[in-house]
Amino acid sequence: MSDKPKVAFYWCASCGGCEETVIDLDEKILDVVAAVDIVFWPCAMDMKYSDLKAMDDGEITVSFINGAVRTSEQEHIAKLLRRKSATVIAFGSCAVMGGIPALANLKNKKDIFERAYLDSPTNVNPGGVVPQEESEVDGYKLTLPEFFDTVYKLDDVIDVDYYMPGCPPTPENLANAVQSALEGFLPAKGSVLLPDKSLCVSCDRNESKPDDITISQVYRLTEVQADPEKCFLAQGIICMGPATRDGCDYPCIKGNMPCTGCFGPVSEADQGARMIASIGGIINAEKEGDIADVVNNIPDPAGTFYRYSLSSSILGNQRKEK
Amino acid sequence: MSKADLKAGLFLCRCGANIADFVDLERVASVARNRDDVAFVKTHDFLCSVAGKEFLRETLENNIVDNVIIAACSPKMYEKAFQKTVSDAGMNFAKVSMANIREQCGWVTKDKEDATKKAQMLINAAIKRSAHNENLQQQSMDCLTDIIIIGGGIAGMESAIVAANAGRKVTIIEKEISLGGGIIKIEEIAPNMECAPCLLAPRLSAIKEHENITVVTNAEVTDLLGFFGNFTVKVKKKARYVDDSCIGCEACFEACPVSCASDFHLGMGARKAIYTAFPGSVPATAVIDRKQCLHFTDDSCDACVASCPFQSIDFDETDEELEFSGGAVIVATGYDNPDSSLVKHLGYGAIENVYTMPEFERIASSNGPTGGNIQSSNGGKPQSVAVIHCAGSLSKEGIPYCSGICCMTAFKVGEMVRKQSPEAVIYNIHDRLVCSGPQEQAFYQKQVDEGTNMLKVNSLSSIALKKKKEKIEVSADGITSVEVDMVVLSTGLVPAEGTEKLAEMIHADTNSAGFFKADHAILHETGTTVDGINAAGCCIDPCNSATAITRGFAAAGDAIAKLIPGRKLELEMMTAVIDEDICGGCKLCIAVCPYSAITFDPEKKVSVVNEVICRGCGTCAASCPSGAATAKHFTNDQLYAEIEGVLYE
Amino acid sequence: MNNFEPKIVAFVCNWCSYAGADKAGEQKLDYPANVKLIRVMCTGRVDPQFVMRAFRVGADGVMILGCHPGDCHYRNGNMKTLRRFRLFEKMLEQFGINRQRFFLDWVAAGEGKKFQEVTTEMTERVRNLGPLEIKGFVEREVG
Repeated sequence: MSDKPKVAFYWCASCGGCEETVIDLDEKILDVVAAVDIVFWPCAMDMKYSDLKAMDDGEITVSFINGAVRTSEQEHIAKLLRRKSATVIAFGSCAVMGGIPALANLKNKKDIFERAYLDSPTNVNPGGVVPQEESEVDGYKLTLPEFFDTVYKLDDVIDVDYYMPGCPPTPENLANAVQSALEGFLPAKGSVLLPDKSLCVSCDRNESKPDDITISQVYRLTEVQADPEKCFLAQGIICMGPATRDGCDYPCIKGNMPCTGCFGPVSEADQGARMIASIGGIINAEKEGDIADVVNNIPDPAGTFYRYSLSSSILGNQRKEK
Repeated sequence: MSKADLKAGLFLCRCGANIADFVDLERVASVARNRDDVAFVKTHDFLCSVAGKEFLRETLENNIVDNVIIAACSPKMYEKAFQKTVSDAGMNFAKVSMANIREQCGWVTKDKEDATKKAQMLINAAIKRSAHNENLQQQSMDCLTDIIIIGGGIAGMESAIVAANAGRKVTIIEKEISLGGGIIKIEEIAPNMECAPCLLAPRLSAIKEHENITVVTNAEVTDLLGFFGNFTVKVKKKARYVDDSCIGCEACFEACPVSCASDFHLGMGARKAIYTAFPGSVPATAVIDRKQCLHFTDDSCDACVASCPFQSIDFDETDEELEFSGGAVIVATGYDNPDSSLVKHLGYGAIENVYTMPEFERIASSNGPTGGNIQSSNGGKPQSVAVIHCAGSLSKEGIPYCSGICCMTAFKVGEMVRKQSPEAVIYNIHDRLVCSGPQEQAFYQKQVDEGTNMLKVNSLSSIALKKKKEKIEVSADGITSVEVDMVVLSTGLVPAEGTEKLAEMIHADTNSAGFFKADHAILHETGTTVDGINAAGCCIDPCNSATAITRGFAAAGDAIAKLIPGRKLELEMMTAVIDEDICGGCKLCIAVCPYSAITFDPEKKVSVVNEVICRGCGTCAASCPSGAATAKHFTNDQLYAEIEGVLYE
Repeated sequence: MNNFEPKIVAFVCNWCSYAGADKAGEQKLDYPANVKLIRVMCTGRVDPQFVMRAFRVGADGVMILGCHPGDCHYRNGNMKTLRRFRLFEKMLEQFGINRQRFFLDWVAAGEGKKFQEVTTEMTERVRNLGPLEIKGFVEREVG
């Protein structure tokens, strides 16, 4: 092995999109590979846990861990990587705040297993078999990782140095972070490696938002043809931009899709609560019935306002001992 | 110093037996003494007494603490006083937190044990909250002390005189061509039948002569900018085509060949194309009606030019855009008479000699179309008159409310008709009567005593009018039909035309009837919902002349009491602030601010609170999607600490 | 559950409901000591984060009491609160928190009696529901 800084990538409960960000560095990945040794990247390279275990504590310069923590295996590797790494970056919305997997927190393990293994109409499972953490087959004891009752964000199980939300983070975000890490320009521990402003500050539609914006009716994207120039909220379409961190260069909005909030909240805010407070405040209705009409058009508030951040909500999860 | 090291001084008030009997203060004190965050615990019998406050001050002077917790009665009682005492002791007043262990604990909890536990939690919450207390400083700003008055009726005039006499520069902006408003069209004011022109004339002349008052007539407000202490009002002053060298000598009236219906006489009399509102108007300057004047319609006439001894005619005059600045604005835009369509069902417009009350006022006025001679359309004096109360009012289709003043005005008809025709028969046809107050009741009794027939109908909607030869038959459920020479429809008052537009322009609320909503119906009736914009007269809701004048007095008095030359305006301290390092400029706080106190700074792309306008409700802080807005003294940290404090030790 | 004493936090506006609570005190109208008040200048200040935090740190029920519609000291902060919390309470249910644990109403400064009634009723309602246990979202109360 060379003296180059060592970098690790790992995925916990995630879709693999964050790994795609690494791939999406395109030719720049060659610069990265030239500058560092990638010592652990199960998604792309053949490495064993034992290789990792064999490393010295703190030997890895920086680990990018994506995905939420749903199983005991993920927790185990996260803890191992923590020990072996000088710096850990929670990479992507799932690691930072639970992400899409954390929506499962609206249910529990029992609900999920029943649905996944027993009740789903496409299941063929006459014996009603559900995964067991321990089972015996032909005299052998087989084990599976524990499936937790709750989806945790990464810093619920290990100490995290930096955060980079995004579903996924953009290749530019990643390249900047790698460069900063290698050059030693990282900010104070605990920082989010992105601007601490909401998306509206960059969005070119913000100018079309009236000062006295109100929402008389909420439209879902399937119900209207969205004006490609006008602020989505001003059109009655829920856009999470005001409660979402800037830094993505707003590709969704450029594609005439409202922000769904993947970069998470600004500062210390609770993203869903904040958005509910601001959207609720501008509902244009006086009577209970009229208010209900507007509210009814938001059929899934938790899923709408906490799509990526349920694990970091105030009522999000029970903190596990680190 | 970290939050954990902060120490509070805790004062417990026994309030005689008022707290001591309901809460075990000994136990509260001994538990609190063991807390790391409490420096000392002192108990006093009556902390709000002179001796108590002295005790508080002395204790704080001799024992340095970071925060002061006072567990006593409701902060609504003495919080201000305790804050002052703590300031006197050299601490910032915002370091005082109160725990309400009397009204919200001892007095409402049956069991003393429960009350004691609750008191401990309330005190715990106050101590925890106090760790996040931050000093607040009284902010002040220079202010303009001039007053701008919109509307030159009796109320606006009164405001102007009060403020001008106090040495303030006053500008009155009036949409008509003369000051005077509604009252100038009235002869006598019920119930005491004072002479209206006699009340008005000295005021008009006082304003005309007052060096502190500028009158801008034939003008409308086009925009209002700024805030309490510094308003700018933009005004469009329409061209008169007569300059102010005109003294209103009326020589041109003779010369002008055009005769047209007079608005002042509600279309019942005539005027010329060049005219003044009434003799003695302020300003005296005449005005040319562009729509009627032959110079403007076909360029065929300039007779007035030759007749004018002062060369005052100026056909080339154009509309002007003016700007006025002042510290406060008084809205006194008055009322309008309802649209005649509201009384169409009562024969108005179809049956001769059916008049609305404002029309009758003109007919009965010495400056009216008949010179005050009350007469029917055939010129004869009516020998029988029916007055229909609540015409167009108290109905869904018409004015839903009671205007409160029309019954007195309606009684005036009989009073005035009898003065000219003592034998005339008068009927006051009503469903209900409003005669609140001794003078009002006496006026009613006088009419009854003098022979007026008070006819009570079963329902207003059953009243019907029918032409019967030279007479008018009035019938209704519950009365025997009567035949009369003249009918007067006693109509109510509606908001002046343009009230809604003006309200929108100045960001003030209106009430359900469309009048300006009072800042507070009892405590501040002459304030609008915008700080620094007061309201006088009928624009708040219908009132009689006395009340209109009183409101004018109050609106001006309030403004001049707050805006004192050489003194700064003290601002609300618990305002909101927006952290520009976090604010993303999403503008959602602007939408929820009830006072338009937040504006968007397009340079920095952030929203900014104007602390002069902000009243500290904290709605923006709760609404801010990125957490950039904070409500001073009610910060998230303070409230989180308090929430935790009431839930666990 | 017989000995269960619910913890209830009530956010009250300074001008109406806090004064209404004082009124209840002046009239010696007792209500359960379970209810503890937190004063804000206007209910418009009540941030959904406060309510969530209260539940998080041990409240079994949360109340918001403000001025009656039309009486808000700050024009219409109470209406903004109403709209905000109608949306919020829908989400609370998704979080597995029974809607009855959250209560929004108007109490005027003179309505000491009403203050006594709403706080007493709330306490009984929450007492019957039992303690709120938040462990992630796993302990659901509603199906």
